Amino acid sequence: MSRPTPAPPPTKMGHFAPETIRRGAIACLPLLPSTIIFGAVLGVLASQRGLSLGELLFMSLTVFAGSAQFVSVDLWRETVPAATIIIATAVINMRYILIGASLRPVFRGRPLWVKVCGMHMVADENWAVTMTQENLANPGFLLGGGIFLGVVWATGNSVGYLLGGGIPDPEVYALDFAFTAVFAALTIGMWKGKVDLLPWVAAAIGSIIGHYTLPGTWSILAGAGAGVVIAALTWRDDMDDTSPEAEYAVDGRQAYGAPEGTLNPEVGK
Amino acid sequence: MNSFPDLTSFSLESVLTILGMAAVTYGMRLGGLMMADRLPQHGRWAHVLERLPGAVLISVWVPSALSAGAIGIAGAAATVITMALARNLFAAMAVGMILVGVGRYFIGS
Repeated sequence: MSRPTPAPPPTKMGHFAPETIRRGAIACLPLLPSTIIFGAVLGVLASQRGLSLGELLFMSLTVFAGSAQFVSVDLWRETVPAATIIIATAVINMRYILIGASLRPVFRGRPLWVKVCGMHMVADENWAVTMTQENLANPGFLLGGGIFLGVVWATGNSVGYLLGGGIPDPEVYALDFAFTAVFAALTIGMWKGKVDLLPWVAAAIGSIIGHYTLPGTWSILAGAGAGVVIAALTWRDDMDDTSPEAEYAVDGRQAYGAPEGTLNPEVGK
Repeated sequence: MNSFPDLTSFSLESVLTILGMAAVTYGMRLGGLMMADRLPQHGRWAHVLERLPGAVLISVWVPSALSAGAIGIAGAAATVITMALARNLFAAMAVGMILVGVGRYFIGS
């Protein structure tokens, strides 16, 4: 692969720079109302199922996965059905294998400890926001969004738990639709060109078929699987991405990235 | 049930269950990244990996729009169109959510 000739000189970037973490947190701001309300709904549910607030917060910060936590807390009983809960969590969160895999460019060329520290606070929301950044995304940006969502999520849990009810129904203000809306909107930002068309159509069809034929969140895996198969089948030799993002810091141990605003995503297309 | 509000009691089985949930979830997050790191940087697998985020994202929201019924499908369409035209996340979310909220108020979900 030939590097694009007018490539801007790589700048050494921090792994978790405070400024990047702050920007990542701000980017997740639109998710604040729905995250806090759903956090509160989970708090109410946990108080009814006999979890202590401490246990709930411990779960929210160690598991950090909304839909799996809802199912798990709902399954919680006086004698905890541990195996059922852990298996349900594994099934619902299986999409994180794919989400983790898709984060490769964000962690490209960075040391293992950055991956180990950066991969914990990864929820669907801050992942999607990070993946649609125009400039080379940064683990700090991802972590910032994760910390923000984690704090808001835990705050919502506490409010709901302590109030024990009286939380407004998220459906009334369409807050349940906020997650659908943010993911739908961010899909536009992931468009890289017409190579995406067939895999995306396949993902949509696969997830729709999965939605009507499979239980729970298996539709996510059905759709993603269909997209992957079609992407693999439609690949041709001349499709290799030679954009600067793809060429940066592929080798070596140092992490390099473009300083903000200098990396033009159109270069090399 | 214990006396309410129960703030700080940690039962061993709860903690172990939560740690089990955390271990499988974190293991899949980090494991996915580590597997992808072992794939080639160019060629078919790199191409597939680049298509992956869009495919996952679509598979997350399309079924949830369907679950929200006709108004959910309309709201998702409005969100996508607004984002394509305005390229503004706040505006796109607002259009979709207002449409769904108003639609539910007048038509019911």
